[in-house]
Amino acid sequence: MKKIAVCYKWVLNDADIRVNEKSRDLDVEKSKPQINEYDRNGLATGVMLKESAGAAELVGVTCGADTEPSAKDALSRGPDVVYYLSDPALAQADSTASSKVLAAMIRSLGDVDVVICSECSSDEYAQQVGPRLAALLGWPSVSYVSAVSVNGDTLTLDRKLEEGTETVTVKAPVVIVVSPDVCDAPIPGVKQILSAKKKPSHALTLAGIGLSAETVKPLAAVQSVKAPLTSRKAVNLMADGESVAEAVAKLVKQLSTEGVL
Amino acid sequence: MADYDAIVVGAGLAGSTAAYCMAKAGLSVLLLERGDTAGVKNVTGGRLYGHSLEKVIPGFAQEAPVERKIVRERVSMMTEDSCFTADFHTPSRFDDASCASYTVLRAEFDAWLASKAEEAGCDLVSPAHADDLLRENGKIIGIKGGEDELTAEVVLLADGVNSLLGQKAGLKKELSPHHVAVGAKEILELPKGVINDRFGLNDGEGMANLFAGFPSAGMVGGGFLYTNKESLCLGLVITVADMSKSAVRLPDLLEKFREHPAVKPLVAGAKLVEYSAHLVPEGGLAMLPALSADNLLLLGDAAGLCMNLGYTVRGMDLAVASGHLAAQTVIEAKEKGDFSNNVLAGYKSRLEQSFVLKDMRTHKNAPHFIEHTPRMFSEYPALAADVFTQLFKVDGTPSRLMLKKALPLVSKVGFLNLIKDGLKGSRAL
Repeated sequence: MKKIAVCYKWVLNDADIRVNEKSRDLDVEKSKPQINEYDRNGLATGVMLKESAGAAELVGVTCGADTEPSAKDALSRGPDVVYYLSDPALAQADSTASSKVLAAMIRSLGDVDVVICSECSSDEYAQQVGPRLAALLGWPSVSYVSAVSVNGDTLTLDRKLEEGTETVTVKAPVVIVVSPDVCDAPIPGVKQILSAKKKPSHALTLAGIGLSAETVKPLAAVQSVKAPLTSRKAVNLMADGESVAEAVAKLVKQLSTEGVL
Repeated sequence: MADYDAIVVGAGLAGSTAAYCMAKAGLSVLLLERGDTAGVKNVTGGRLYGHSLEKVIPGFAQEAPVERKIVRERVSMMTEDSCFTADFHTPSRFDDASCASYTVLRAEFDAWLASKAEEAGCDLVSPAHADDLLRENGKIIGIKGGEDELTAEVVLLADGVNSLLGQKAGLKKELSPHHVAVGAKEILELPKGVINDRFGLNDGEGMANLFAGFPSAGMVGGGFLYTNKESLCLGLVITVADMSKSAVRLPDLLEKFREHPAVKPLVAGAKLVEYSAHLVPEGGLAMLPALSADNLLLLGDAAGLCMNLGYTVRGMDLAVASGHLAAQTVIEAKEKGDFSNNVLAGYKSRLEQSFVLKDMRTHKNAPHFIEHTPRMFSEYPALAADVFTQLFKVDGTPSRLMLKKALPLVSKVGFLNLIKDGLKGSRAL
């Protein structure tokens, strides 16, 4: 095998996203971007597969509005090189746009035998990019992959399904979509982080891969994103020294008014 | 050939300052930080005295993420139902950068200082673990972290109050409950204008308020309240020795402090956005470890460099100075090609000649005085409350002269005690 490519997304850390209580708008000011948690297992799968397949190169691939800062982090997780595409036109990219760009990027790299995607991203959770990417490349797509082994250009993949585990074999080139349980994603060590600083990363442009801002425009425009509203009602029982019987009657009345009973 | 001239463990104020100074002098430096980013694991009450960092990065406050410059100092004695406060307001006297102090939030401030070190050319890795010192024939040659082994001519331990590596190196012992306090703090969010109005401040101006008495429930310790740009830091620090015997938990004491009638209106409407707790080295000179060994230096909290005088609490300015002086020592060692304790012991001499150990020596009896004068935390706040109650109470009963009002109250505590504590205190603090 020549190249194994792992796609990853540079997303906001959702733990630090806050909700404005009045407008219910999301406040992302304190939230720093990071590599999508699910994609860390994808990168680890790439490392493992490169080794067992004796592949020449492991490549990290990403696209988005501002992906350059992701390269160092991605490189510390195993790839030999990262190709990133940063374009403001991708700020609202949906799965259609992302898969279009990733497919064009992978075509432009050439010699890619296996593309590894993870199931989803923590921001959109659309679970679309992997299969769409396979369709655009015209390659087979194998999803829900929980175990990977390789022999020459043939991959043997376990698919964890509801009814049981399905084992399939497939010849490269192929897009595989891995589940988080496919392998552990270790936190990079100091030496890995230091060596990442010396590895190369390359910027690609939409024009350079034969696309334009117009072709990656999202098909559905997002008008607003609001946090859900949960309403709670506090009912104070036995506060004024009422008896248990009175409190019970009050509670039953309250619950039936609310339609709970 | 070692990987680096110096490895610094911990990107707090001491570690990042040392890394910055060494990298600027052209040394190859690796700075390791356990947190995801520098500062996220650090806790401060809230105030940085700027003088020592001013020497390292002149005019730092212009570019660093400081919250507010302190123009209002308050010291309060509190009982359950009263609060006596001395309020000193001066927008000009502490204005000069050489004596200005600032409230800071460590997650932002430390990240900035670490980025300065990185800009100066040091390799910063976070999160990174340094689990143990790496030795060869007994000589320290670097650190071990996970599966990684990294080598350097000298290791600077700025790994905080517990400094497990300092303990492993045999430079310091496990902390004694008498030498550390435990601090807990809430960050309470309020709009900038509300903070300005409540504390009588202009934009950029800040207030520092220390409290004795009620907040620590008579135990050795106290409360604090600092103003940030758009939040308040409210917290408590109590010695571990006392806290371990207390029936009330620290978070509950903090809750009571926040609900105190003098504090409640100050924090009304504020939103709790962060809660943190940390150990504070408060043993002073008595807990000072060996500060250097062959190929090894101890910095900041790891070296126990901290001073609590009751009316001022200092640690961060000492940490910065220790980083600065450690760097100077390492630069000298690099020039001489000698990283043994022959040269590195010069770090302690530098600290001795600087304000760090001079001030700690001047106030060497403070920890003992504070710990052995429990009246400071119970009787005296109560006395202040009683005296002022007598002074301002007008209820139609025949009034008496001030002295007659105060005398019986003072004699309850004991004149001799008051004189003794006053003398001892003014000698120790």
